[in-house]
Amino acid sequence: MAMQPHSKKRVCYYYDSDIGNYYYGQGHPMKPHRIRMTHNLLLNYGLYRKMEIYRPHKATADEMTKFHSDDYIRFLRSIRPDNMSEYNKQMQRFNVGEDCPVFDGLYEFCQLSAGGSVAAAVKLNKQASEICINWGGGLHHAKKSEASGFCYVNDIVLGILELLKYHQRVLYIDIDVHHGDGVEEAFYTTDRVMTVSFHKYGEYFPGTGDLRDIGAGKGKYYAVNIPLRDGMDDESYESIFVPIISKVMETFQPSAVVLQCGADSLTGDRLGCFNLTVRGHGRCVELVKRFGLPFLLVGGGGYTIRNVSRCWTYETSVALGVEIANELPYNDYFEYFGPDFKLHISPSNMSNQNTPEYLEKIKNRLFENLRMLPHAPGVQVQAIPEDAVNDESEDEDKIDKDERLPQSEKDKRITGDGELSDSEDEGEGGRRDNRSYRAPQRKRPRLDKDGSQIKDEIKTEDIKDDVKNVSSVEEPKKEVPPNP
Amino acid sequence: MAANMYRVGDCVYFETSPKSPYQIRRIEELNKTASGNVEAKVMCFYRRRDLPNPLIQLADKHQMAQSEDSPVAMKLKKICLKTPIGEEQAAQAVLDPALVAMEEESTELPGTDGLAPKQRHQAKHRELFLSRHVETLPATHIRGKCTVTLLNETESLLSYLNKDDAFFYCLVFDPSQKTLLADKGEIRVGSRYQTEVTNLLKEGEDDPRTSEDLETLVWTPEHGLTDRQIDQFLVVSRSVGTFARALDCSSSVKQPSLHMSAAAASRDITLFHAMDTLHKSGYSIESALSSLVPASGPVLCRDEMEEWSASEANLFEEALDKYGKDFADIRQDFLPWKTLKNLVEYYYMWKTTDRYVQQKRVKAVEAESKLKQVYIPNYNKPNQALITSNSNTGGGKAGAVLNGGTNGTAAMSAAQLCASCQVTNANQWYAWGPEHLQYRLCGSCWQYWKKYGGLKTATVFGESEAEGAKGPRGEGEDAALSVSHRPHRCTVLNCAKEFKLRAHLARHVATAHGGGEGARPVMKTRAAFYLRASPFTRLARRLSRALRRPRHYARSPFSPINLAQVKHECSIAMAGLGGAEMRAGGAGGAAAAGGVARARGAVGAVATRLAAARGAPVAAARAHDWLLLTPRDRMPAPAHVAFPKPPKAPDGSLMYERVASRAEIEARRAEPAPAPAPAPPLKRRAYDDINGLDRVGAPRESVAAPPPAKRPNKHPAPMQRPSREQYAAMCARAQATGQPLPAHVFAHVNGKPTNITGRGGRRHVISWMDAPDDLYFRATEAAKSARRTLSCGELRRGARAPWRAMRGGGAAATGGAGAGAGVGGKAAGAGAGAGAGAAAAPPLQLVILD
Repeated sequence: MAMQPHSKKRVCYYYDSDIGNYYYGQGHPMKPHRIRMTHNLLLNYGLYRKMEIYRPHKATADEMTKFHSDDYIRFLRSIRPDNMSEYNKQMQRFNVGEDCPVFDGLYEFCQLSAGGSVAAAVKLNKQASEICINWGGGLHHAKKSEASGFCYVNDIVLGILELLKYHQRVLYIDIDVHHGDGVEEAFYTTDRVMTVSFHKYGEYFPGTGDLRDIGAGKGKYYAVNIPLRDGMDDESYESIFVPIISKVMETFQPSAVVLQCGADSLTGDRLGCFNLTVRGHGRCVELVKRFGLPFLLVGGGGYTIRNVSRCWTYETSVALGVEIANELPYNDYFEYFGPDFKLHISPSNMSNQNTPEYLEKIKNRLFENLRMLPHAPGVQVQAIPEDAVNDESEDEDKIDKDERLPQSEKDKRITGDGELSDSEDEGEGGRRDNRSYRAPQRKRPRLDKDGSQIKDEIKTEDIKDDVKNVSSVEEPKKEVPPNP
Repeated sequence: MAANMYRVGDCVYFETSPKSPYQIRRIEELNKTASGNVEAKVMCFYRRRDLPNPLIQLADKHQMAQSEDSPVAMKLKKICLKTPIGEEQAAQAVLDPALVAMEEESTELPGTDGLAPKQRHQAKHRELFLSRHVETLPATHIRGKCTVTLLNETESLLSYLNKDDAFFYCLVFDPSQKTLLADKGEIRVGSRYQTEVTNLLKEGEDDPRTSEDLETLVWTPEHGLTDRQIDQFLVVSRSVGTFARALDCSSSVKQPSLHMSAAAASRDITLFHAMDTLHKSGYSIESALSSLVPASGPVLCRDEMEEWSASEANLFEEALDKYGKDFADIRQDFLPWKTLKNLVEYYYMWKTTDRYVQQKRVKAVEAESKLKQVYIPNYNKPNQALITSNSNTGGGKAGAVLNGGTNGTAAMSAAQLCASCQVTNANQWYAWGPEHLQYRLCGSCWQYWKKYGGLKTATVFGESEAEGAKGPRGEGEDAALSVSHRPHRCTVLNCAKEFKLRAHLARHVATAHGGGEGARPVMKTRAAFYLRASPFTRLARRLSRALRRPRHYARSPFSPINLAQVKHECSIAMAGLGGAEMRAGGAGGAAAAGGVARARGAVGAVATRLAAARGAPVAAARAHDWLLLTPRDRMPAPAHVAFPKPPKAPDGSLMYERVASRAEIEARRAEPAPAPAPAPPLKRRAYDDINGLDRVGAPRESVAAPPPAKRPNKHPAPMQRPSREQYAAMCARAQATGQPLPAHVFAHVNGKPTNITGRGGRRHVISWMDAPDDLYFRATEAAKSARRTLSCGELRRGARAPWRAMRGGGAAATGGAGAGAGVGGKAAGAGAGAGAGAAAAPPLQLVILD
């Protein structure tokens, strides 16, 4: 699998100017407005004029039912805040309510998000573009007939299904801090899609993504889970990301890649607990881009919205192969980025619980699994040639990880003293000052953090009772909410 | 100093009690209270020792299930995910034959293979159980940081053992429901969950999809314009915008200065519009310019920020104050002419304004009470358990300090060892375990104990003893001389089977002895016990100098006894004794070491001597015939023995007969010839046996009383159910003394006496487990002096009828004193019996029985 130089590519970008104005509800951490903030930054950075900008169509119910069940989509189409009371039962069934609230324009929001990813996939299929970006997509928790973790319609699955028309094997990579359970579940039994998810595991939403979850049936060994612990920093992340992805590329040999760029793995995220900087996060985009495959970039989580827009702006620039200044240009949301008004953020001094030994062991275990894969027929494994262009990032590659960084590299990682520490949020809601990684509780509906969630607990109790009534010998996993 | 900075999210040790191990908590919030103290809202991790025993076993099995893939293991996996834990339920869970089979095998954590037993033992100290339980603790109780991570299967436990303060967890414990959960979600498999994978298009097959239907191009980089040209066009569009604002009346009010108009015209909406215009004009600057200035006048693009009037902005702020960010409500009640999208867009822009910044500052002040981190200096005060070396250098003084100087007379070698690592020399010693056991730990083992909640080695002193130390009333029927394993024995007569687990016992009782009264949970009152004095105990009482004051100990059963010393003395003394001598010493009861009765002679002789001493005439002595004791055989026998003494067993103990329930009696009648089985004296007896009201009071000295009549149909004594007045008196007394009413009182009053069921007043045998809650009376000085004011008769009456308020006794003898006398009277009786036994007993509780 030849890697290509850090080069200019034809990039298509999907955005609808309405998407920023959907609102999940008071105190809800998911803020679609971050997509608009990203968009404005892109304009003012001058990246806008370097890409093809598309307004996606609204995905139709027909398109969505390629993956989702008909009644679920019918439900999403008909539910509104003013008729919620008529749908109590269905809301429970489809897990719509607390984490995934009913808000004004919910269905349209799903249509736009899914429409973008599907259009992007078609674009890649037609080879009309090399890289497609849909920051409005990436809703990786949505299940076939169930909303989950702020996600209703799984635009990623719809996009991959589209890609599968032209690509025998599609690789899905997920760098959201949460496990990409919706996508993994959708393709759990197929060998045509490999899902690779790097995520915090252990007492964390959605509770799946154990190292031992490797797929089932034909899909055995085609689900790769990298369970991580709090405090992942850029260096550790790269030390696990690079070998795993290289190995996956080598053994699975996909012909298209989808990368979910959930920005909640950034330091200081309201819900996340990793310690990545924008640079470290963007590095993943860079690395995947180098493989030169048709490449779909989607958004995902990200709940400290100023950092989300920083991150996705930077990643757009990486996709475009354009350097952008650390100084943020003036834009409508400039004040959000104070007091430093810089693009890059510095990591916090939180401790990294992922020891090199731990990562090494995880890596070895995954390598063992990957060895079980049959090699893709007819394709020789080739040595990866050196990149032609010796750009800055290449230097980084060559640096021995065990050695001290040269001063030039260190300087790159230094950020100004004035740069704002990350943990302060936008001043929303009572929870903003809470430590961000309590947040899984937000994503976990059945936790008794606040009153609203307790209400939900009661509801789930009811469901559980129903389950019990149906069959008394029930697997405990079903009785007990599976979330951690 | 970073080490002492504690942040939200850190896992830390909390010291809540000086003697018990630290608690492990994760800081969720740090709040400054009004008084300036910092409170930490923390999430609890539980240690193995904090969990109920059946749960631990299930947890271990779960571990095993994870490590193996046998069918049984799979089954376990399912069961163990949700473990019921009420005692009965635990019994049920264990009923599963598969589980029982597993039980025999060793249950170890995964990754323990290749660990030495000691490491395996220590690994258990590193396991925690996550919970969702949140509590608030003062931050000053923080004693250091630790790490808690989810155990990953690739890790070996050694990696935790090799790191200080590193813990792992696998399961989540719910303290309220007493369940364990695996912290794991599930990827479901089935057509309801997976997608149908689209097939690869075949050769020549058409894709119905066309990009044209799916998207609208808004901008393309293939425009032939240079960056400079685009920038220029953007500047032009902004100038047009500024000019448009100058022409627009409403704008000129809002933006009185040119600067402000220019700034407004530079907002992103103008730029986006300019780009759109450029795109629509086919990237021809010329045509784009003309469309910027149509016939209707220069184009004016305003976003929400600009669109809103000052009064609307005020309304919005007001509404935000009132409703928070519930935009639907705000729209409905304040700004119905705006759309929801208008509001959302405006909101995010409003946040960039000065007004918001000011508001935020106010909020920030409010939020100041929430801290992100807190500095807690190292805690240097000595722990209470630290044994101060104010006595001699020898470690043996530990006992003396502990025991309040009551009996710590000699330094004993046994007490010098560290209970964990057996070292004899250490800089610091800490008292550890229940006080009466007088164990101590060296400094490093103490640290280990505090951090990991166990001892480094699981050798001599079983963990069970440490566990016993947890509760003040350690369940210890025979915790006397180093018993590490205590089987659970069936209490049913003639059965006495032993079980490792309580749950098994429960099952045994349920199955072997039928339902009936046995259906109740077996371990209701754990604290009820009686002292079984083994021959060795009895011997020890005689041999040990530490027990020289049996009467003192009988009176104050709560004062600790230096057990180590007792052991030591016994071992020395017994070394010199042959088996026969020991037996004689133990059984005979009058060993040479015991107090030798002084020969004082007959009473008459004593009186004569006394009279002689006073100078009375010696001749008169012989006249005092009445002073001579009547020989026993000539004593008048009562016509009726109220409380005949039961017959004696061959070993000299009294044989009490069990009072059978009616059902049993009927069953016995049906049987042809029931062999009267003598109750083994050493067996635990049912309460009503030792408690039969008609027997206990029998005078011990009376001899050759006729064997007790068989009274199978004995009715409950009248005392057992207090009359209304009695109940009132009890309540009054309870109020006066501040003591809660004993539980059994309620049992009666509620009309559900514990030993009467059904209307027929059928009597059931209560097992000792079902006995009412225990109570022991400790006489305070006040109570004692009050008692002294009472006459002997009153005291006795009080003892017999403890619920009755005491009459007389002067002003001092209030209800409290009366109660004291009453209970105390009883205590005296029981105390005499148990007194000698106090030697080896943990703090005794006098059991009030009725």
